Amino acid sequence: MEIKGEYEFQGPRALLYELLLDPDVLASALPGVERFEEVAPDAYESTMRVGIASVRGTYTGRVTVLEQNPPESYRLQIEGSGKPGGVKADAFVELTEAGTGTTMHYRAEVKARGTIARLGGRLLGGVARLLIGQFFKAIERQVDDRAA
Amino acid sequence: MSESVPITVNVNGRERSAMVEARLLLVHYLRENLNLTGTHVGCDTSQCGACTVLVDGRSTKSCTVFAVQADGSEIQTIEGLADGDELHPLQDGFWEEHGLQCGYCTPGMIMSAANLLQDNPAPSEEEIREGISGNLCRCTGYQHIVNAIQHAAERMAQS
Amino acid sequence: MTTVDGPVLPKLIGERVKRREDPRLIQGQATYVDDIKLPGMLHLAFKRSDIAHGVIRSIDTSAAAAMEGVELVITGAELAETLGPMPIGTPFPAPDHYSVATDKVRYVGEPVAVVVAEDRYLARDAADAIEVEYDELPAVVDPEAAMEAGSATLHEGFERNIAVESYWGGTGVNPETAQPEDDSAVDAAFAEADVVVSQRMLNQRLAPNAMEPRGVVAQYEPGREYLTVWSATQNPHILRTLVAAMMGLGEHQVRAVAPEVGGGFGCKINIYGEEYVAAALSRMVKAPVKWIEDRTEAFLTTTHGRDLLGYIDLAAKNDGTILGLKARIIADIGAYEVLLTAMIPTLTGLMMNGVYRLPVVRHELTEVFTNKTPTDAYRGAGRPEGLYFLERAVDMLARELDMDPAELRRKNFIPTDEFPFATQGGLIYDSGNYEPCLDKALDVAGWQEMLAERDAARAEGRIVGVGLSFYVEVCGLGPSAVVPTGGWEHSGVTVERGGKVTATTGASPHGQGNETTFAQMLADHFSIPLEDITILHGDTSVVKQGIGTFGSRSQAVGGAALISAAGKAGDKMKQFAAALLSEHEVAPEDLVFEDGRIQVAGAPEVSKTFAEVADFAYIPVPLPPGMEPGLSEESFFEPENNTYPFGCHISMVEVDRETGEPKLVKMVAVDDCGNVINPLIVDGQVHGGLAQGIGQAMFEEVVYDEDGQPVTASFMDYVMPRAADLPTFELDNTVTPTPVNPLGAKGVGEAGTIGSTPCVVNAAVDALAPFGVTHIEMPLRPERLWRLIQENGGQS
Repeated sequence: MEIKGEYEFQGPRALLYELLLDPDVLASALPGVERFEEVAPDAYESTMRVGIASVRGTYTGRVTVLEQNPPESYRLQIEGSGKPGGVKADAFVELTEAGTGTTMHYRAEVKARGTIARLGGRLLGGVARLLIGQFFKAIERQVDDRAA
Repeated sequence: MSESVPITVNVNGRERSAMVEARLLLVHYLRENLNLTGTHVGCDTSQCGACTVLVDGRSTKSCTVFAVQADGSEIQTIEGLADGDELHPLQDGFWEEHGLQCGYCTPGMIMSAANLLQDNPAPSEEEIREGISGNLCRCTGYQHIVNAIQHAAERMAQS
Repeated sequence: MTTVDGPVLPKLIGERVKRREDPRLIQGQATYVDDIKLPGMLHLAFKRSDIAHGVIRSIDTSAAAAMEGVELVITGAELAETLGPMPIGTPFPAPDHYSVATDKVRYVGEPVAVVVAEDRYLARDAADAIEVEYDELPAVVDPEAAMEAGSATLHEGFERNIAVESYWGGTGVNPETAQPEDDSAVDAAFAEADVVVSQRMLNQRLAPNAMEPRGVVAQYEPGREYLTVWSATQNPHILRTLVAAMMGLGEHQVRAVAPEVGGGFGCKINIYGEEYVAAALSRMVKAPVKWIEDRTEAFLTTTHGRDLLGYIDLAAKNDGTILGLKARIIADIGAYEVLLTAMIPTLTGLMMNGVYRLPVVRHELTEVFTNKTPTDAYRGAGRPEGLYFLERAVDMLARELDMDPAELRRKNFIPTDEFPFATQGGLIYDSGNYEPCLDKALDVAGWQEMLAERDAARAEGRIVGVGLSFYVEVCGLGPSAVVPTGGWEHSGVTVERGGKVTATTGASPHGQGNETTFAQMLADHFSIPLEDITILHGDTSVVKQGIGTFGSRSQAVGGAALISAAGKAGDKMKQFAAALLSEHEVAPEDLVFEDGRIQVAGAPEVSKTFAEVADFAYIPVPLPPGMEPGLSEESFFEPENNTYPFGCHISMVEVDRETGEPKLVKMVAVDDCGNVINPLIVDGQVHGGLAQGIGQAMFEEVVYDEDGQPVTASFMDYVMPRAADLPTFELDNTVTPTPVNPLGAKGVGEAGTIGSTPCVVNAAVDALAPFGVTHIEMPLRPERLWRLIQENGGQS
C-alpha cells in the first residue's frame, strides 16, 4: 500500500530538516513513543504504543535513515512488529521551500502482515494518516518553539 | 491474567453468581461455566449470529459482550426457550418447515427470530429476511427459515 | 375372515417427513466437538505464520513456556521427530507437508509451533508470546506468473511451481490406452467452424465456511494403548485410517468419532494437521487435548475451494451445432497438496462435456503452487468450475449467433436414446432425459414472459437480464476404481428384541438428514413405524466400516448399502417367521412385511408380529435347522458407476444504474436427482446449494494482496449471502432414475451449487449486453458492474 501526502510548515527548510532527524525531537513528537534510542549512527530503535481499533498494541521497531541530502531529502526504512502483526515501510521525504515556509512531501510504500494486514487493512491508511497528522502537529509546535 | 470480578445474572429463570475473569466473554461464561452449550460460536467478529441470546429481552451477540457487562441482566438461551416439554412456536416452526440442516446456526437464528417476533408479531417475508440478516446460515439458503418464522408467527397469533 | 389388529402404516418413501434430528438441534441439546469436555482436558493453540513465504530463522518459545498453566510448547521441527509428513489421497507427486512447518512457511496461517495449556485463553496468550523470526522470500501469488521462469518457487523438485500437468483431447479417450484417439480432429473442427467464442474466465477462490469451524478432541490412553479422536469431520473412518498410520498405531487401536457436525461442504473431508497434532500431543502430555478453530483460523487454514482459471474456446456452425471445445485450465492449488487437492481440478475437465454432444475436446490442465491456503473439495468440487466455463461459453455462443439460449442447448443435447452415453473424457453417463427438464424449467419460469418483462424493463431504462444454465454432474462417488479411499459404503441393520431396529451407516452426515431418510427407507422395507428405528453414524466403534459423506453419495451409495443390509436381515427374519408358522407350511419367500407383521402375501391371518419374530430370533427354541440365532446383518455396497443428475436453472437479475448493485429477482431450479426419498430434505439441499452457487456468482471471493496476505479473513470482508440478499427460490423436478443402484436415487447435495452460478452470471451479462458487455468476472461486485456501465458512457 502506498501512503503519500504533503504538509505545510511555517518555518525555514534547514530548521525542519534538522528537527525531523533529531532523535530527541522525534522521541517527543512521534505519537505513543515509550522508548527511542539511537543504536547505531542513523539507526534507531523504539517502542511505540498505538491505541486505535484492531491495530491496538505495543510495537517495537527499527528506523534507519538513508540517503541524507540536507536540507532537501532523505529516505527512511521502518520495520515494526507487535502482537497484531508487523509493518515494513520504505519512505521518501522531500522538503521544498514555499515562500517563508516549507512544504514536506512524503511517499511511503507500506507492507503489513498479520492482523494488521487482514483486519486492519482497511484501517491502516486511516490510522497512518491520523498518526502522521499527530506527528506533524507536534513538529509544528517544535518549529514554533524554536522560532520563538 | 486479569483479575476476577463477581457477577450475578439470571439465566433461563435461574439466578447464577460467579467470580469471572474480566475478559471472559459472555458466550464462554454460558458455555464453559454453566454448560449451556446450545449457544454456539461461529466467528470472532460478531458477524454470524450463532451466539445470539436474549439479554433483558433483546437479541445480543454473546461473543461481543463480556460476562461482567451482563452483570445484573436476565439472559435467555435456546435451552430456556421451551415451556417445559412444550416447544416454543419458533422451535416447532423450525422443525415443521425444515428450517435447519446442520443445526449449528439454529439456536442463534431462533433467538434472533424471537426478538423479531416480539417487535413485529406479523412480519412480511421481506421484514423477516431483513430481521435475520445478522445471522448467517450456510446450509438452508434461508427459505425454510423464513417459512419457519412465518409458521411461528401464525401460531403465536392464534394463541 | 380373521381380522388383524394394528394400524395401517403409510408408505414413507417420497413423503415430506419431518426430520428426526431436529428436536435435539432446536433445543440446544446436540453435542458438537466444542461441547465435549473430558476430565483433565488441556487446550491447544497454534502459533501461525503471518508471512506468506519465508525461512524460519528462529523460534523463541521461552516466554510462552514460562507462563503459569502452560504444559508444553513445541515447534514444528521438534514435532517432526514424532509426526512425519501428512498423507494425501491422490496418486500425484506431492512435496512433503508437515502438520507444523519445520523450516519454511508457505502461506499465511501455516502453523509453526503449538502450545498446550490449561485453558484456551491461556493457550492463546502463550501462542502470542512465541517470537518467530523469518527470512522473507518473495511471495508467489499469481498462478500464471508462478509458472514463468524466474519466479520464486515454493518446493524443491517442482520446477516453475507446477504440481500436476495433464492433457487429453481429440475425438475421445481410448479406454484401453487412456490416450487421446485423434488430436488433429480438434484443429480440424475449429478450422471448419463458422463461429468460435473464446474467453478467459476466473472461477474464483472461495472459503467454504461451514458455520461450525473445525475442531478436535483427542484422548490417548497409555494403559490401553488406545486413541479416541472426536473431530468435526465428514469421514470418521478415513480419519481413523490416517491418524492410525501417522501415530504408528493399527486401526484397531483408534476410535474416531464425528459427533454432531455443523456443516462440511467439502472442507471437512481433508484430515488436517491439527487432528494429527492433537493425537500426538495427547500421547505426549498424557492428557486429553482440545483444539477449536476460530473463524480467522478457518479463513487462513481450512481448505479453500475453486480458484481455476480457464481459457475456453467453443466452435460451432451458424445453425448452432457445436463442433468442439478447447479448455486450458490453470488451477491455483495453494501451497500444498492435501487429501484430494490435486484430484479436484481433474474433475473439471471431465465434466466439461456437459449435457451436449461434443464431437471433439482438447483439455489441458496445469495445477500450480502459490503462497496461499491449500485448496480441496468445496461443494461440487471441480464440477461447478467445469460447468461454469462450459455454460458461460454456450451462453456466449447463443449471443454470438443471436439464438435463444434454451434452443441452442436443446439443439446440442445428448439424445435420450443414447444413454448410457460415453463422454469425451471417458465417463459413462448412466441415464438422462434432458428435454423434458428444459421444457419444465421454461414453463415453471415463464421464459417467454421473462423475456417480455426484460424487454419492457429495458424500454423503461432499467437494466435487466435473464439467464439460463443446464448442468449435469457426477454424484454417488463412486466405484472404488475412481475413489482413492474406496468407493463403497457400509451399513449394518440389527432387528432388536422387541422388534425395534438399529441401523448403522458409514455415510457420516453433517446436516443431510440421513437419520430421517434412512429411517424412512427401513420403515417401508420392514413396514414398521418410523419411531421404532434408530440410525447410528459417525463413530467407528459403532459403525464397523465406512467411507463418509461427500460427492452427493449418502443416498446413492450409503442408502443402497442400507437397503442391501436390510434385505439380508429381512430374508433371515422371514426364515424365522416361516419356522414359527410351520403349521401353515409357509415358505419364507411367500412372506411379506405388512403393517408391523410378517404375513403370507394376501393372507394377513397367517402371520406373526414383527416383534414376535424378532424375539424368537434371539431365543430360537427350537433353532430352525441350518440357522444361526440373531438378526444382525451388514452390507458393503459397491456401485457399478457414478450417477449423473442434471437440471436447468433460470434467473433474472436487475442492476441499479446509479450504483451498479445487482439484485437477483428470480431464481428457478428444476433438478433431476432420480428417485426422491424425502422431498422436504431434497428441497432444503437444493435451496442451500443455490445460495452457495449464487454466493459465488454475486458475493464471495478470497482475495490475497501482492505479498500473499489474505485480505478477506473475516466475515467483515468475505461476503456471505444473507437472507435479504436472496429471492424466494422456485423449485420443481423431473425424475429420471439411475440404473446403478436399487433406489434409483442419484444424489442432490451439490446440484444447486452447480447450475446457479453460471445461470446468474449469464443473467447479469444479459443485463449488461446492451452496453456491449460479453463477459463479467465473478463475483458480480457493484463496483465492477458500475464500471462496465460507465465504460460505455452509461448508455445502453
